[in-house]
Amino acid sequence: MKSATRKALFSAAALFFSTSVVGAEVVKVGVIGPFSGPFAGAFGTPFRQGVEAYVAMHGNKAGGAEIQFIYRDLAGPDPQKARSLAQELVVKDKVQYLAGVVFTPNAMAIAPLSQSAKVPMVIFNASTSVVVSKSDYFVRTSNTLPQVTVPVAKYALDHDIKSAITIVSDYGPGIDAEKAFSKTFEQGGGKIVDSIRMPLSTTDFGPFLQKIRAAKPESLFAFLPFGPPTYGFVKAYNDNALEQAGIKFLGTAETQESDLQALGDGAIGLETAYFYSGAHDSPENKAFVETLKKLDPKAIANPATVSAFDGTHVIYKMVEATGGEVDGDKAIEAIKGLSWESPRGPVTIDAKTRDIIQNVYMRRVEKDSDGKLVNREFKVYEAQPDYGLTLGE
Amino acid sequence: MTTSHNDSTVSLLGAGHVARGRIGGVPFAPEICLAAIGLSAMWFMPGDLSFLTRIVTSALFVLSLDLVLGYAGIVTLGHAALFGVGAYAAGAYAIHVTAEPLSGLLVGGLCGGLVALATGAVLLRTHGLTCLMMTIAIAQILLEVLNKWRSVTGGDDGLSGIIVEPIFGVIEFDFFGRVGFLYSLAVLVLCFWLMRRLVSSPFGLTCIGIREDRRRMTALGASVYKHSLAMYVAGGLFAGIAGALMAQTTQVVGLGSLGFTWSAEALVMLVLGGMGHLWGAIFGTILFMVVHHFASAIDPFKWMFVIGALLVAVVLLFPDGLVQAIRKQAVRWAARRSNRRRHD
Amino acid sequence: MELLLSILIDGLAYGMILFIISVGLSITMGLMRVVNLAHGVFAMLGGFLMVAVGSRFGLRPEMAAMLAVIAVGALALPLEKLIFRRVYGRSELQQVLLTIGLVFIGIAAVGTVFGNSLLAIPLPEYLKRSVDIGFRVIPMHRLAVVTAGLAVLVGLWFLFTKTRFGINIRASVDKAAAAEALGIDTSKVYRLGFMLGAALAALGGILGAELLPLEPYYPLKYLVLVLAIVAVGGMGSVFGSFMAALVLGTVETAAKYLMPEIASIMFYLTMLVVLSWRPHGLFGRQL
Repeated sequence: MKSATRKALFSAAALFFSTSVVGAEVVKVGVIGPFSGPFAGAFGTPFRQGVEAYVAMHGNKAGGAEIQFIYRDLAGPDPQKARSLAQELVVKDKVQYLAGVVFTPNAMAIAPLSQSAKVPMVIFNASTSVVVSKSDYFVRTSNTLPQVTVPVAKYALDHDIKSAITIVSDYGPGIDAEKAFSKTFEQGGGKIVDSIRMPLSTTDFGPFLQKIRAAKPESLFAFLPFGPPTYGFVKAYNDNALEQAGIKFLGTAETQESDLQALGDGAIGLETAYFYSGAHDSPENKAFVETLKKLDPKAIANPATVSAFDGTHVIYKMVEATGGEVDGDKAIEAIKGLSWESPRGPVTIDAKTRDIIQNVYMRRVEKDSDGKLVNREFKVYEAQPDYGLTLGE
Repeated sequence: MTTSHNDSTVSLLGAGHVARGRIGGVPFAPEICLAAIGLSAMWFMPGDLSFLTRIVTSALFVLSLDLVLGYAGIVTLGHAALFGVGAYAAGAYAIHVTAEPLSGLLVGGLCGGLVALATGAVLLRTHGLTCLMMTIAIAQILLEVLNKWRSVTGGDDGLSGIIVEPIFGVIEFDFFGRVGFLYSLAVLVLCFWLMRRLVSSPFGLTCIGIREDRRRMTALGASVYKHSLAMYVAGGLFAGIAGALMAQTTQVVGLGSLGFTWSAEALVMLVLGGMGHLWGAIFGTILFMVVHHFASAIDPFKWMFVIGALLVAVVLLFPDGLVQAIRKQAVRWAARRSNRRRHD
Repeated sequence: MELLLSILIDGLAYGMILFIISVGLSITMGLMRVVNLAHGVFAMLGGFLMVAVGSRFGLRPEMAAMLAVIAVGALALPLEKLIFRRVYGRSELQQVLLTIGLVFIGIAAVGTVFGNSLLAIPLPEYLKRSVDIGFRVIPMHRLAVVTAGLAVLVGLWFLFTKTRFGINIRASVDKAAAAEALGIDTSKVYRLGFMLGAALAALGGILGAELLPLEPYYPLKYLVLVLAIVAVGGMGSVFGSFMAALVLGTVETAAKYLMPEIASIMFYLTMLVVLSWRPHGLFGRQL
């Protein structure tokens, strides 16, 4: 009995000492994302891969501390659960930084917590403009909708396209995209013939595309959520021969890599504007893609992957600046104005808005030498800021 | 445990013993038990308070579903609509009128009850599959309407920035979630007591009778429609309060709070625990949410598999729910033990 | 005028797909009175098996599709014997729960084997083109679906009115006890009816894949859609499913053309209106 209690006391003391010693040198980061459910393929898995790729390339230490990542699953928009997970991560797991988040409602739910607890959060996806302003400790490394939509409108204007119909899914991001496109297009002298908002649950897009065909605009601008809606829409665009009718397809994230192969040959020729293509030709991107494939041969280099990769870079910089100590204000100050060369191109964190300033590329879907579909970049709009603020929503 | 006493009433009314509210002669015993469970959970898991609070608000929601399904016999896959309406009502109330929490709860409950009255009036004229489909359709329509009404609900982005003033002007909500949890627990215990009173009242007993044998009750002169509607409204009221509670403790409301998935999950929780005697709702909720919490760390598809298999098992092997199965087993053991003692 | 024609054409095509997927459920529900929420699993399996078998053995899409449909029908047999049979006559709620459990298991199984992303069904070349009829273009595969839907309708009519099996089914639906007394093996009839329903679902899943893309969550996503068709058409009525699918499909399509923002509300509103007016569905019977 006695030796057992002594053993117990000893191990308890060892545990106490080890955690208190390690405590100062382990920085935990809580990553919240859809690691299960329908969005896992487009976001959750890429988040994880992006983080792990960065760790593989740069090690797991920064500023004298060891960085540990804790992953928590949030399968869809669920603000209640988002807040709950964030609270657990901060209070129970004692994370110093939060990261991830795909959906705007989830980010909004976490904002008050981030603000009051002074926990910096790096957003890997949620792209509604207003999100990053909800907490002084929010930083975004993905994109905003207006940021990628304004270039596409400019591109259309540059190509003498005078009329367009906007057709978006009827939800927050869709409406954001519609407004950003319409404003820019009309400011440049274009005419918006019609604005169609489709219910989110739509499965049959045929009627909508027929309607557009009948109206004969020179182009259409579309925005739909990832997965089945985009798939269905692109198919309907092809099936109803809109391209032959001379109606150009303008989009943004529709051809992103996680869905591109499933779209099939019908996607060839589609032109979209976005901040990252897996086929981006730069040494940084080559190294990035190679690392990804080494970690998992099935990995696809997706915009979400690179957002997580760059987000991890930001976290490392914050840890360096604070030396591994808990200091939210110092961390955020350190990354304001931070610039570096990302696999997507040159990027900067805006000092005032803490949003990301980056190049937006016009790409066309092509088949590469391996027979795989890729987004081939052919034009750059440099250093695009978040237009959501300047467009005055 | 006054098991034998309870068994005879179980066979008669199925829920009478719960309603009696006395275990060993102590008044409010079920409420004290419930409060004790909640407080001990808080003691043992102080870092998980937001998770525990979610269990509490969900348990209140599933209890309201028990009123509708377990006591009025209405099979619904759209109950979340009433929860969501209460949540948005309380949220909008907090933002535009006053952030006082207790009146917020009442506002949520009132809206839930009113929507239940309006929809129930149409719904309850139908039965079976038709009724089920209509509950789904109504919930979907409400979802679309709230989605469109972006100015009030925030639409797809959700309603955020819900502030909660201190309770009674004094007790402030703390960052760690302690006050939030205790507040929710208090509301749950109070509502549980109210529901117990409701189901043991003559009104409640009539509803149980209708659930058991519709024709006989009609022959006895009870208006099936009126009683079902009243119980449906009661269910809507408590669902609305649960929604309001959720809105206040998480300070955000999303469209998912009205969704089909949430309705289905509540149904599963209720069935796992067993319907028609209130405690089943509580245990079913705790069981489901705890397993989900741990299982979500592992492969999500495995989680679906486990829940699916559990449902199939419950239907085929324990049609009355796990609580009843456990109770029956406990009765059997007690009987066996007293037999053995007699033979010693 | 062109608008009206467009609405009718698109509504017809959409409705046909809904019909093919749902008719199997209407038959099984009318026949065995089991609320089977897991019907979508058969539809999904049809699509997934077609792709799996087709790519494994390098078969033409038509061949793979036929094999998949037959395979799903065969799969339904042990399911009926082991599981569904146990809940005939039990309460609605129990059936709902059992079949939701099966849906979850189905989703988990498919998700684990095939992963989370969308599955694209290979189309034969001749279905990839579009036909130009002047004021608009119609994709070939839509025409194929409409033809298939009509073939199914006619085929089922023939089956139920002209064959012994069909008569046995109708007898068992009307009055099982009397049918038994007359020597009809009702459990065999139920079994075959269930297999037929499952096979039709698989066919619907394959043909409808352009519209309702295949993925593990398919049964849950389109559950409400399918149930709506069956409820509005009336359980057990093939013609009812047909009419319900056309009506709901056309209403939603018309709304898309005219008032796109409320298209899905229109779908559910129509469903509510029809069910309030005729609680047993358009062609359902008093049970």
